[in-house]
Amino acid sequence: MGNEEKTPQATPKRATRSSSSSLATSPNPSIHPQTPPSLPDHLLFPQPPISLSQLLSNLPGRKPQILDIVRLIGPRNSPMLPLLLYGRASTGKTSTVLQVFRHLNRPFVYASCRSCHSPRILFETVLNQLLLYNRNKRDGYSSTKRCERPSEFVDLLRDALRKLGSKETSMIYLVFDNVELIRGWIRSSGIISLLFRLFDILKIPELGLIYVSSATPDAYYSMTGSIEPNSVYFPDYTADDLHSIFMRNQENPKLYSSFLSVVLKPFVRVTRRVDELATAFEPLFRKYCEPLTDLKLVPDEIMKRRLFVYLQPHLAASLNETFSIPLKDSFEANKEGVSTKTGSIRKKCGGKDASAELDFHMSVSAKYLLLSAFLASRNPATLDAALFDSTGGSSSRKRKRKSSQTSIDNMDDKAEEMLIKGPGSFPLERLLAIFQCITSLSEDALEEEQIGDGVTTINGRISLMSDALLQLSTLCNANFLHKSGSCPLEGSGRYRSTVDEDLAFKVARSINFPLSKYMYRR
Amino acid sequence: MAAEKSLALFRSRLCDTRFVHSAFKSSPESNYSKLKFLISTSISEGCNNSVLLLGPRGSGKAAVVDLVLEDLKMEHPDAISVIRLNGLLHSDDNSALKEIARQLCLENQLLFSKMASSDDNSQFMIDMLRECGLAHKGVIFVLDEFDLFTQGKQRLLYSLLDALQTLTSQAVVIGVSCRLDADQLLEKRVRSRFSHRKILFIPPPAEDIQRLQNIFSDKKFKEILNSLLDVDGTISNLLRFLFRAVSCIDMDSGFLSLENFKSAHLCTQRQPKIDALQGASILELYILVCMERLEFKEKNSYNFTSIMKEYKAIHDAYKTSDNYANMVCLRAFEHLLDRELISFTDSKGWNQPIEFRPVKLLISAHELYHGLKSNSACPAILQKLFDHESYK
Repeated sequence: MGNEEKTPQATPKRATRSSSSSLATSPNPSIHPQTPPSLPDHLLFPQPPISLSQLLSNLPGRKPQILDIVRLIGPRNSPMLPLLLYGRASTGKTSTVLQVFRHLNRPFVYASCRSCHSPRILFETVLNQLLLYNRNKRDGYSSTKRCERPSEFVDLLRDALRKLGSKETSMIYLVFDNVELIRGWIRSSGIISLLFRLFDILKIPELGLIYVSSATPDAYYSMTGSIEPNSVYFPDYTADDLHSIFMRNQENPKLYSSFLSVVLKPFVRVTRRVDELATAFEPLFRKYCEPLTDLKLVPDEIMKRRLFVYLQPHLAASLNETFSIPLKDSFEANKEGVSTKTGSIRKKCGGKDASAELDFHMSVSAKYLLLSAFLASRNPATLDAALFDSTGGSSSRKRKRKSSQTSIDNMDDKAEEMLIKGPGSFPLERLLAIFQCITSLSEDALEEEQIGDGVTTINGRISLMSDALLQLSTLCNANFLHKSGSCPLEGSGRYRSTVDEDLAFKVARSINFPLSKYMYRR
Repeated sequence: MAAEKSLALFRSRLCDTRFVHSAFKSSPESNYSKLKFLISTSISEGCNNSVLLLGPRGSGKAAVVDLVLEDLKMEHPDAISVIRLNGLLHSDDNSALKEIARQLCLENQLLFSKMASSDDNSQFMIDMLRECGLAHKGVIFVLDEFDLFTQGKQRLLYSLLDALQTLTSQAVVIGVSCRLDADQLLEKRVRSRFSHRKILFIPPPAEDIQRLQNIFSDKKFKEILNSLLDVDGTISNLLRFLFRAVSCIDMDSGFLSLENFKSAHLCTQRQPKIDALQGASILELYILVCMERLEFKEKNSYNFTSIMKEYKAIHDAYKTSDNYANMVCLRAFEHLLDRELISFTDSKGWNQPIEFRPVKLLISAHELYHGLKSNSACPAILQKLFDHESYK
């Protein structure tokens, strides 16, 4: 079996993952037509095989797991008991198993329960790959055999394996990825039992079964007893492993390693997942390299110190952000992040700042509606009269009378309750009433501004009632508002706001609305 | 070269349960002999019979059935036809009848029509049984996962066992189940037609294990084997352990060593929750400790916002450096949910945002304590906070 690259029509479409392992691939060998290779060749990994040492260096920190898997799969043409690989998300299970098959150069069939989200799709994907069938437009992207029930699947699988194995007795391996998602399907217990007992039901020694799951094996115990497959655990990466992972494929290793020595330790305290760290490191590294004119140079100690001092303020801010891939190149300090390390970050309260804290655009009426919903959810209904008087202004909330001990306790209890229960629900009429109040208030404010500054505002006239109702359904679809169940006696439905305080304050700041004055503070 | 050959031989033998159980063929008291006697008498005398094979998973019930059928096929080549059904696949009556008809057609080289209705299939089955009876050919029905056939109305079981009652048919029904009370699940009319024969499969007795242990006189090996079999004494557990040990064989020398067995034993003794705690980041550990403190204060239900309150309180009190924003803590909270160290108490999750749904810990305080101790990066303050509740 040579390393020839097959013609594109012959290779079946593989659902391979190439996410975190960006490997240096050898140049593609030339395509030479030959006598058709034996059928299982089509199920090999599409790229040429690699040696064990290359495999180990491609996946740092995974040496014991790789050796374990290779030993359990065993030599060529030797049967194996089913194998379960488990570990947290983003620990490299899928990449490891695919690269191991690349190294071993054996035919395998891969099906992920994430893309095959129902039993029928799962069965048909496996059968399509075994029967070397490509879905194409001619047949309307249908599968080769229609297979809905587990009994059909077992029969068809047996036939397909018999057809494949008739030339030579070589092992075929089935890899089922993301098996933990099956638990959320309908009739999940039957499918899970079927999958894990496939080895016993089929009794075909040429079939090797490998399951990859991010849930631990005890998630698959069933009520009628189950056989636990041999399992290999993928622990989380240690800090040294993370260091070696990030050092791969770097153009300037010394520079990057000095960068890592600064950032890795604090970030590892927050999260140990490779994907999240990668997202956080990328903008920081760009910031780190900013003062350098020549990116190829090797920094010495003094330069390292200076770069460290330069990066430090941004480090603390980045620690308090999650997953934000900034739209602009410039890196803004997040006003929410208060650092106790250097204390040199100023709280930026930019309302009219060009860097909008809101990452998305909303129309002004939608913003007002959102704020009214937020206030309606947060404040108890009895306070409305006090907060919003007929002119739309807010009266002073400072209680003039001294609160007795019991009322303080009551307020504490109510605060606890609100903490537990979450935002309250409100009827539509209350929402519209609050909306009218605050929009009329801001209309007055804007008119004063206009007269005062003589500068045209960007807002113009605030919306009318009908516009509000249109925006309501938009907000519901965007999951800012949630429609709770409505009682038919009460009339129109009740809504609940699902926005958190940070977002509400961001929205309020963008339209210069004094939100904190209206919030019910305990 | 020899090492590879021996490895391949070991692996193929360990993966084949029939090979393993054929070792028990010889003894007259074994389940194999009992079953073989039962079936061969019912075939030679032309009578009907039904039997249940019960035992925990991995005790070799299906393997013994396969062995018996294989041997009988060799002894009486044309007198037996076998129909196999599985409860996982064919629990629905219609699909079971279809499968029976299909296998009967296959055995007798008849054409099978997929469009036949279930009435046609059942009629076909009854006719075939009669024909086979007249031709002195025994039909053996093997029903795996028998307890799954007893769900619903048990129409299939009734028709099968009913067909056994006629004079002309010559059939044996073998049910295999891992539920020891499988016969209690039968309906009254089905149970009356069932011949209440049960063959129990129990884990091998102590003497057999002694014989195994005498191979190695090493005390450590005996300990390993004992602790393995204390947990799960079935043969399949032993096979899996041996498979794992064999796969670590040293290819240079070609010999198994005690180290192989030790490492295989370690693999069977994993503790997933402690492992998950070792992999948790420090922020996640903080959240877990806050939850533990809330539970200790006997709050009935608490959610993410109350956990955050506790978290902020700790930071105000101790001025630690691990004070992070709400969003970051929420992300760590979601990681903990993914790892199944905590979970929501309401399963419906009626569209409430994550911060307000009540949660609970899925690990005990004891496990959390050990997890904190074994996590090398855990800051001392967390342990101090935890010791405060004096959980030792």
